[in-house]
Amino acid sequence: MKSVLIVDDAMFMRYTLRKILEKNGFLVVGEAENGLLGAQKYGELLPDIVTMDITMPELNGIGAVQLIKQINPQANIVMISAMGQQHLVREAILAGASNFLVKPFSEERVVEVLNSI
Amino acid sequence: MDKSLSKEPMLEMFIFENLQLLEQLEQTILAHEKERCLENAVINEIFRIMHTIKGAAAMMMYDGISSLAHAIEDLFFYIREFHPDEMDYSKICDIVLEGIDFIKNEIGKLEQDQEADGDSSPFVENIGQYLLQIKEASRNSKLINEAAARPAGHRKKFYISTSKSPPTESIKRYHALIYFTPGCEMENIRAFNLVHKLKDQAEQIDYIPADIIENNDSVEFIRENGFAVIFSTHLQQEAINELFMKEAFIDSLDLRVMEDEEWEIEQLRARNQIVLEEEPSVRNNEVREIGANLHSGSTRQSLISVNVDKLDRLMDMVGELVISETMVAFNPDLRTAAKLDNFHKATRQHRKIINELQDIVMSIRMVPLSMTFQKMNRLVRDMSKKLKKNVELVIIGEETEVDKNIIEHLSDPIMHLIRNAIDHGVESPEKRASLGKSPAARVYLEAKNEGGDVYIIIRDDGAGLNKEKILERARARGLIQKPDSNLSDGEIYSTILLPGFSTCEEISEFSGRGVGMDVVLKNIEEVGGTVLVDSTPGQGTTISLKIPLTLAIINGMRVKVGNSIYILPITSIKESFKAKPDNIIVDPDGNEMLMVRGECYPVLRLHQKFQLKSALKKIAEGIIVIVQNDSGSICLFVDALLGEQQVVVKALPKFIGKIAGISACTLLGDGRACLIIDVANLINPSKG
Repeated sequence: MKSVLIVDDAMFMRYTLRKILEKNGFLVVGEAENGLLGAQKYGELLPDIVTMDITMPELNGIGAVQLIKQINPQANIVMISAMGQQHLVREAILAGASNFLVKPFSEERVVEVLNSI
Repeated sequence: MDKSLSKEPMLEMFIFENLQLLEQLEQTILAHEKERCLENAVINEIFRIMHTIKGAAAMMMYDGISSLAHAIEDLFFYIREFHPDEMDYSKICDIVLEGIDFIKNEIGKLEQDQEADGDSSPFVENIGQYLLQIKEASRNSKLINEAAARPAGHRKKFYISTSKSPPTESIKRYHALIYFTPGCEMENIRAFNLVHKLKDQAEQIDYIPADIIENNDSVEFIRENGFAVIFSTHLQQEAINELFMKEAFIDSLDLRVMEDEEWEIEQLRARNQIVLEEEPSVRNNEVREIGANLHSGSTRQSLISVNVDKLDRLMDMVGELVISETMVAFNPDLRTAAKLDNFHKATRQHRKIINELQDIVMSIRMVPLSMTFQKMNRLVRDMSKKLKKNVELVIIGEETEVDKNIIEHLSDPIMHLIRNAIDHGVESPEKRASLGKSPAARVYLEAKNEGGDVYIIIRDDGAGLNKEKILERARARGLIQKPDSNLSDGEIYSTILLPGFSTCEEISEFSGRGVGMDVVLKNIEEVGGTVLVDSTPGQGTTISLKIPLTLAIINGMRVKVGNSIYILPITSIKESFKAKPDNIIVDPDGNEMLMVRGECYPVLRLHQKFQLKSALKKIAEGIIVIVQNDSGSICLFVDALLGEQQVVVKALPKFIGKIAGISACTLLGDGRACLIIDVANLINPSKG
């Protein structure tokens, strides 16, 4: 079972993702509400996959990807992006994100991306 | 949204979280509007909140909310990125506040199980137009700036140009045509991601369309024609095939090895420069800095949100626990047992723990008034703008805490009273100037603790209430029967709280038509509070709401009256003692009085009041309990004091209705029901 850390500042999104993931056989090992906490939790939990929101307080998703990649260059990070954030997603990919999802997403898409990792 | 996910808790969370965000946003806006400038942090916050709301609303398919949030997000994106000089801050605040109102309204509908079907397109259009306007306005100045400060040496890396070496034997050139899954969004970035990944395995990567990032039309192109990548690698075709198919959202892949001459042509054409920007090297430093902060600012996650229903149930259970504890400790069967030392020891410990538990549950339910108070800022802002009055809201003691259930009943009355204060109380700036008052009127909203009560005081420095007009109106409506001379000022002012009373002839947008004041009274009485009105002509009006700290559990003294047991709230007991016969005075009407340390208190025999048979006739035989509240003190004559105990307050059943002198009931340890005495009513029967 793959372990997942969810990083998103919106409780609603974390909840939605958790529901989807747990339903599809992923183990959600943690949630974080901003990039800093996300990176910190990553270090503690070392999950197989991180889902990472982009727009967050304290430290945004791209900064968090950079931090996590410092902790583990092999980390698998899936960005959760909104429409119109192409440039940010691109930056995230350059920083080392493995893939991304576009909100609003459906259950199948989440599963497809996470299974591809 | 996927139907298989349970909707209920998600909707609940959506409502909860977004309302909270909106509240926060509203506070931020109001706090910064006065400064006529929005700091970057604020702009960022607005942007982020709108972004979050947009995302959540889109997931739930509330298009109205999401498109409005999107429009505001766009506006603030522009402001954040380009810092236009020509901005009307008040207009921007209006836009955001209007947006907040719309979204709140929609969420309100959701809360009541209605569809969020409001049409936000007028707002969206309005915002779009405003955005155009500021873009237009700042274009001219921007042009000049841009010419002056063109970034020098924008480094670019050309992937084609890095490939100087001719292909060696083992390396083959591949051509891949990829179609992404329809509807996976941002196809251009997906293509970019593919190329990015391919970089580890291949070189001389070229792709069509070339401008995947810069040109947003590339999305359309990729959707229709697919994304073509040409690259050189020593990997075998199968390995590459596998590499691609592992990737998410690839619908179809057409992979083939290219012939040599084909390659030549393609290489010529590829001089069209395909660009992947080099990452600026500064970034590494940045990351280090952020890393240093990692340990300092990340210990905040100490709050959780809990459904109020669960809290209410917890409270009920603790209440039941208190009752059952008394049932055990005062069990009638124990009277026959001989030696109970150990039992009593155990029950004492038991009670101590229950008390602590109760304190904790109570403190969980206590909520500061600040949210309720801060909401009024918006009201004052809107009203002073519309009515062209200059009003400042002064909030005092917002940290005061009140039981969650009570707070819900406070918002409307406070809002109504503040509206009244601004609409009817505060004079126009011209009139204030002519009266020698400062042109800026002040409305004070104050909260404070006093004993077991919380006072919320709404005070303005306006014209005050017009006593004559109130009297005239009250008589015309038949609200007063007593002759004028018998009425105190307080009684006259209090008539404005009666149903069907209104002093304002014309109906204004804000204050309505006098359906309000009696609703205020009703709301406050519902939570066991009282309303006091006071006014000084020319100097303003003060309305005080007195509210009990909590409704659920009180400390009570069990007193015996005849064969019945009553509960007196401990907070209202001043002292108790056996009276000496010499200190009892009887006035010509037969009313008994008691002298205590030179002060005279009326005596009320509870058995007479409640028409019970008591064996005790002489006051010296029973016990005197002095009870007090803010309007005075009185001596209650009871047969005996039985002991102190915590009681869980239960409302009187509906079929009994209101009884003078009784506020509620409770259950005793032996299962008997017992009435709780309403001290305020005994002291001053005309009130409440």
